[in-house]
Amino acid sequence: MSVPAPVRLCGIRKVFFPGTPNEVVALAGIDLAVPAGQFVSIIGSNGSGKSTLLNAVAGTFSLTTGKVLLGERDVTKQAEHVRSRTIGRVFQDPRAGTAPSMTIEENLAISLLRTKRSGLRRGVTSARRAVMRTQLSRLGMGLEDRLRAQVNKLSGGQRQAMSLLMATIAEPSLLLLDEHTAALDPKVAATIMELTAQLVTERGLTTLMVTHNMELALRYGDRLIMMHAGRVVLDLDAEQKATLKVGDLIEKFHAVAGEAFAVDRMLLD
Amino acid sequence: MQVILQSALTQGLVYAFMVLGVFITFRVLDFPDLTVDGSLPLGAAVTAAMIAGGHSPLLATATGVLAGLCAGFVTGFLHLLLKSGESDATNYGPKLLAGILTMTALYTVNLRIMGRSNIPLLGVPVIFDKLGSWLSLSMLGWNLVLVLAALAIIVKYILDWLLHTEFGLCLQATGDNEQMIRAMGTNTNLTRIVGLGIANALVALSGSLVAQQQGFADVGMGIGTIVAGLAGVIMGEVIFGVRGISWVLFSVIAGSIVYRLLIAVSLRLGIAPTDLKLLTAMLVVVALSLPTVRKKVMRA
Repeated sequence: MSVPAPVRLCGIRKVFFPGTPNEVVALAGIDLAVPAGQFVSIIGSNGSGKSTLLNAVAGTFSLTTGKVLLGERDVTKQAEHVRSRTIGRVFQDPRAGTAPSMTIEENLAISLLRTKRSGLRRGVTSARRAVMRTQLSRLGMGLEDRLRAQVNKLSGGQRQAMSLLMATIAEPSLLLLDEHTAALDPKVAATIMELTAQLVTERGLTTLMVTHNMELALRYGDRLIMMHAGRVVLDLDAEQKATLKVGDLIEKFHAVAGEAFAVDRMLLD
Repeated sequence: MQVILQSALTQGLVYAFMVLGVFITFRVLDFPDLTVDGSLPLGAAVTAAMIAGGHSPLLATATGVLAGLCAGFVTGFLHLLLKSGESDATNYGPKLLAGILTMTALYTVNLRIMGRSNIPLLGVPVIFDKLGSWLSLSMLGWNLVLVLAALAIIVKYILDWLLHTEFGLCLQATGDNEQMIRAMGTNTNLTRIVGLGIANALVALSGSLVAQQQGFADVGMGIGTIVAGLAGVIMGEVIFGVRGISWVLFSVIAGSIVYRLLIAVSLRLGIAPTDLKLLTAMLVVVALSLPTVRKKVMRA
């Protein structure tokens, strides 16, 4: 098990399709220091670079320039799957975080193996099953009694709850949440968000959460970052954020985004 | 009738390892691997050349299997090269091309190994003679069927064990949801290469056994292997069901036998052997489209 680690991003730039007519500057130089255990909400309109930022930290692509530090380690050149051993991720699509035709226990066994090398020992052992049962029972969905059920028999909410559990079960140094409640219906989304907050607080996880939902960003987390055109345009700590309302946030956004506001307002509402 | 049944069982069982290999690539890894058309004759060529060269049939068979393993690795590396960094699980182009390239290259390799297009194995001791003398059984008729069935069951249980180890779970997840298993810290490039190696080792084992059972290795014996393999997999799944990997492995072996039984019956009914490939292709098309057609009919 690893301990929550601070994250530092130094002058991160990412240009897609450089030198072609389709060139896109997705990240235009981002400096960000997140202390260990901090829960950061990241908001911004479509194309502002917030998801790209998470993928840059996860190592999905190589950076144009800049460095990513996880704890004391410079992980900029580390392959995605190596970095993944200490970074937990939950994606927007509930189908993305689990292997559909495998069973619940097989999926969870894989997530328990994250920090270890997988060898030729049995994947699902009775010791691991006991851990799974305890962990699943806290979801309150009765999944602990369905360990041998295929994951594609579960609902979207159940699958996303499992994804969340799988991302955090091996206590990663860092948790990345990419609009992980956006594809769920409001009631389920609220449940998953509560569960997220519980797991994050309890395990003291360093967390970056991207969301479209300003209310979520204000309610959860102890820091709020707003992105626009590949830059961080607003950075509020817990105290500043506590006094804000969604309306204030839209106004602030208006101030920094300028003329792009009219279009973005529709997206943000 | 008994002769047909017996020969279909023998054929079905020697080809069952190939069908298991195709199952691993197609179903477990989600990698439509065309290497098999080359790795089946590769196993046969290596084994036949070694036996003809005076080596023990056991060593010859093992070397054939090893050659198949390497062929699978080559396809895995070519796929890495062709997919050019970006990993998109549903992009089958590089997967198909990697298999086609290896398969084509193997044609030359097989000819080089054999030194000619055909090596007869008549009158020389093959693996079945060796096994027969150990077990004090004549390796003919039903005895051969029983020994092959035992071998198939052993291989089935080894695969079953392997797929449920920690590595095996990662292998399964590589084909099921690559994004997820990468995010869990697994190098899917590695699991995929190992999986392709294991699958083609099984296919080569079939090739080696087929050559020793029919008494010759031929450079053209691999043509249509992939379609025959698919036919076995699909028929097994349709007839015997798919609940859980352990069960499907049995289904697939049974599918291989049913497929050979159908071929034997077709031949008996007077269908020319040269028409069999077309028949097999049609069989696969029908079996693959059955679920879609059924759905359409139900809705109408």
